Amino acid sequence: MKKRTYRNPVGVSRFTGLLLISPFIAGFLIFTLYPFVCSFVLGLTDYNGNTTPEFTGFENYINLIKSEDFRNAVKVTLKYAVILVPAKLIFSLFTAVILSLEIKGMGFFRTAFYIPSILGANLSVVIMWQYLFTSKGLVNQFLELIGASPVSWYGSPDKAIFIIILLRLWEFGSTMIIFLTSLKNIPKELYDAAKVDGCGSIRAFFSITLPQLRGVIFVNLILQIISAFQEFNAPYMITSGGPLKSTYTLGMLIYDEMFRYNEIGAANAVSWLLFMIIAAAVAVMYIVSGWIKRRDEK
Amino acid sequence: MIKYLKKRIIAYIFLISVSAVMLYPLLWLLGASFKSNEEIFSSVGIIPKSFDFSVFKAAWQTVTPYTMGHYFLNTFKIILPKTVFAVISSVLVAYGFSRFDFPFKKLFKALLLTSMLMPSIVTIMPMFLMWSKMQLLDTYIPLTIPALFAAEGMFVFILIRFFDAVPKEFDEAARIDGCGSLKTLVFILVPSIKPAIISIAVFTFLWTMNDFLNPLIMIQSVEKYPLSLALRLSVDSTGQSYEQRKIIALSVIGLIPSITVFAIAQKKFVGGIATGGLTG
Amino acid sequence: MKTKIFKAAVCLCALSLSACGKKQNSITMPDGKLDKCSLRFSWWGGDDRHEATLEAIKLWNTLHPEIEIIPEYGGWDGWTEKAASQIAGNTEPDIMQINYDWLVSLSPEGDGFYDLSLLSDNSEHHAFLDLSGFDEETLSFGIRRGNLNAVTVSLSGRGLFYNSDVYEIVGAEYPETWDELLALGEKFGKKNLYPLDLDIQSGGTAWYLAVVYVQQKTGKEFITMNGELGFTQEDIKEALDFYKRLEDNHVIRTISARTDEDGNAALYESPEFIGGNVAGVLEWGSSVGKYESVLDENVLEAGPFLTGENGSSGGWMVKPSMLYAISKNTSHPDEAAAFMNFLLNNEECAVILGTSRGIPASSYAENALEKSGRLSGLAKENDDLLEQLDTVTISPYMELSRMKEICNTAIESVSYGTSDTASAAKQMYEEINAYLERVRK
Repeated sequence: MKKRTYRNPVGVSRFTGLLLISPFIAGFLIFTLYPFVCSFVLGLTDYNGNTTPEFTGFENYINLIKSEDFRNAVKVTLKYAVILVPAKLIFSLFTAVILSLEIKGMGFFRTAFYIPSILGANLSVVIMWQYLFTSKGLVNQFLELIGASPVSWYGSPDKAIFIIILLRLWEFGSTMIIFLTSLKNIPKELYDAAKVDGCGSIRAFFSITLPQLRGVIFVNLILQIISAFQEFNAPYMITSGGPLKSTYTLGMLIYDEMFRYNEIGAANAVSWLLFMIIAAAVAVMYIVSGWIKRRDEK
Repeated sequence: MIKYLKKRIIAYIFLISVSAVMLYPLLWLLGASFKSNEEIFSSVGIIPKSFDFSVFKAAWQTVTPYTMGHYFLNTFKIILPKTVFAVISSVLVAYGFSRFDFPFKKLFKALLLTSMLMPSIVTIMPMFLMWSKMQLLDTYIPLTIPALFAAEGMFVFILIRFFDAVPKEFDEAARIDGCGSLKTLVFILVPSIKPAIISIAVFTFLWTMNDFLNPLIMIQSVEKYPLSLALRLSVDSTGQSYEQRKIIALSVIGLIPSITVFAIAQKKFVGGIATGGLTG
Repeated sequence: MKTKIFKAAVCLCALSLSACGKKQNSITMPDGKLDKCSLRFSWWGGDDRHEATLEAIKLWNTLHPEIEIIPEYGGWDGWTEKAASQIAGNTEPDIMQINYDWLVSLSPEGDGFYDLSLLSDNSEHHAFLDLSGFDEETLSFGIRRGNLNAVTVSLSGRGLFYNSDVYEIVGAEYPETWDELLALGEKFGKKNLYPLDLDIQSGGTAWYLAVVYVQQKTGKEFITMNGELGFTQEDIKEALDFYKRLEDNHVIRTISARTDEDGNAALYESPEFIGGNVAGVLEWGSSVGKYESVLDENVLEAGPFLTGENGSSGGWMVKPSMLYAISKNTSHPDEAAAFMNFLLNNEECAVILGTSRGIPASSYAENALEKSGRLSGLAKENDDLLEQLDTVTISPYMELSRMKEICNTAIESVSYGTSDTASAAKQMYEEINAYLERVRK
């Protein structure tokens, strides 16, 4: 048996690990790398599925950056992510902190909060959302009940995006559960010590809880950013991108170019741009979190 | 003490109002499946004036030659193998990452992360082509086989965290007793990461249940439609006498499987995540 | 060298075989015999069409038990996308119900579907597809670049249908001229009702009615059969102005109000239509059934086609509401042709299918329906009214998804007031020209 510099148990070859992860390697090649490379290659062509792809260099990219639709989609996607991600994280964290107060009926609340998040953009949920937000829907009926004036949701270019943001906020449960778990793992002694020092609960939150949760906040942040930028299902099913393209995300642009207009070249170029935007956002988060971590440790 | 009580009360008011917002729409939907068109748009209450299950019966029959039961069965034909595949492959891969050292380990771990950044809508077209060249369209293979290759990077990440939380001494003790790598995994490690495995199985179930685009493109004959496509087909088609509650009844039917599975697994599922693993 | 690597890469990724420089699979030629096989048949539609078609397939099975038909069907939403990806991947069904514009988008060179002349007119052996029940013009709709790609199932045009109960309550007559339509708004507005509905969703009826108005006035075609823009920028502006007047006169809901009330639901699922707040719809004769069935029996009635003050009645449009095509990749062309022939011409089958796909274009099927007494209802009334008019045939280019999107976007911006009709018309004129140039080549 070989024993090199690989730190493995006695009698285990360095290939055992490779063998174990081989499904991932194969899957990565077939289901990620292959479509990824294809997407790049096709993004350089003018191709509609029936004809021979023509090499056009970066023309698709140039046309996109010039096009009104693409710029609008970037704006919409950014607006969506910038509102949704912090709102969802803060709300989840806040609720988790309250739930961690050793409250009676905690099991019930936990389940109640979690249920919506298992439903995704399931057709049933989409239909339900329709009954909630149309002008005579449940939300406006409630507003009338408490004496407020009804709100135009679907038809207003300013508010339509909030129908989708509210759906995703409603599904905050899984994010909250992750916070709740980490909250429970914070050693009690830290809080006790703070109390002795005369520290109030709000200060304790900022000086103990937040730094302790830094890692899990970062993980949640990254997961939320990735899924917010890729949003397609909800606007596709709920608003079709309207009105006035105010909910027309990059995900919808990709779908339309690919399947509705058969512009496979352009669709793949958008995909790549979206991928780069996501990667850039994640990289920025990495840098910022590293910077915060270093500052905290000083 | 009074301050403490005040804090409690505020906390309860908050929690109760949030759970009302969470659950009310779902309960309303259930109630609305028994309401007439006018009742739906005139009252915010949950309880309908009368209960009439005939809409559910009609919705169950569907417009196709098959009942909803047939489509439920189809969905399970996808979910069952997919779940088994996802669990086995993710556990193996996560075990490899967590317990072994091997060439290019860092690179592969980075690839695992990048694979999660790729917009999934991009991969559908090349995948469709690949399956069509293999003549495997209109089978459940394109929907299930990717799970065999640990296609969900997220699952592997969750499992790695769980594995890392189990002390390495456990493995060493097993090895001294003469267990090989696989035996150690199956008999020592798997029992201690059971909650994570259940979570993955439940996630696979829920995500497959909600998936619409993949089956739409890969499955062609109505006979093989999973529930999500059958629901869409029924909602799109209009019956002879149109009633809102018919569509609502269909939505309720569409929500039942996810909520049932969650209810059954919820103790292990939510509680499971809560007992260990997913810490930052 | 670089291009070679690139070509290899494209070949590995692209969907069509032609990308690899290989010739397309040569098509299977007919041999004049019916063999045992199974065929896939796909269509979109609503309940009534699904049920009737499945029933027809049952009848086929008793006649030809050796040829099994596997049905693939669903609603219209997403169907084009699905079909396009199937054809790109060469996995399309043997027989397909296709939409008019697919001839342009999926068979740009005329070779995207099987050449049906091989199956209808063959000197060497028996041909299974009988086209003698179709007139020359009807057949011409299925010809793309000289090849008979598809056969028209039915011809259809959009007509106006009204909720007779509501019109009675308001005390209004169905409008006969454009001015009468515009005047209706006031009467209905007093009761907070609307005499008509127009949409900018997949139907795109808002732009459709505006086009009819300008076509009737000017005698021009919006887009010609060859895919040239027939309207001037001024014509487009006039169409948008007309639409805006409909909104301003309370004839139709604004887009914003409409979206608020219906969300993303289709009009026939909307409480506003079912409840009678919106009392009219512009719809194809072949698919008005879904609007009819949500109201009480005989409530929905066909109204007159609007004319100008001077009595001009042109400008209304017709098109093949759907066509049948056979896959170029089928390995059973004879059997597919026989089944298609059954769907188009068989008398028993025609009676089963009824008007679920509109009034059949085949005279055999139409006569069979006539005899059975099933040739009645709104679809028939609409058809009869249209026949008395001097109609314009819709260009398949007008039906393309991107074209609809351009028109809907312009209407939407005019409705929300984000641009005036002049600048919306200018932008639309430029975009349509650029797009047509791209797809015509």
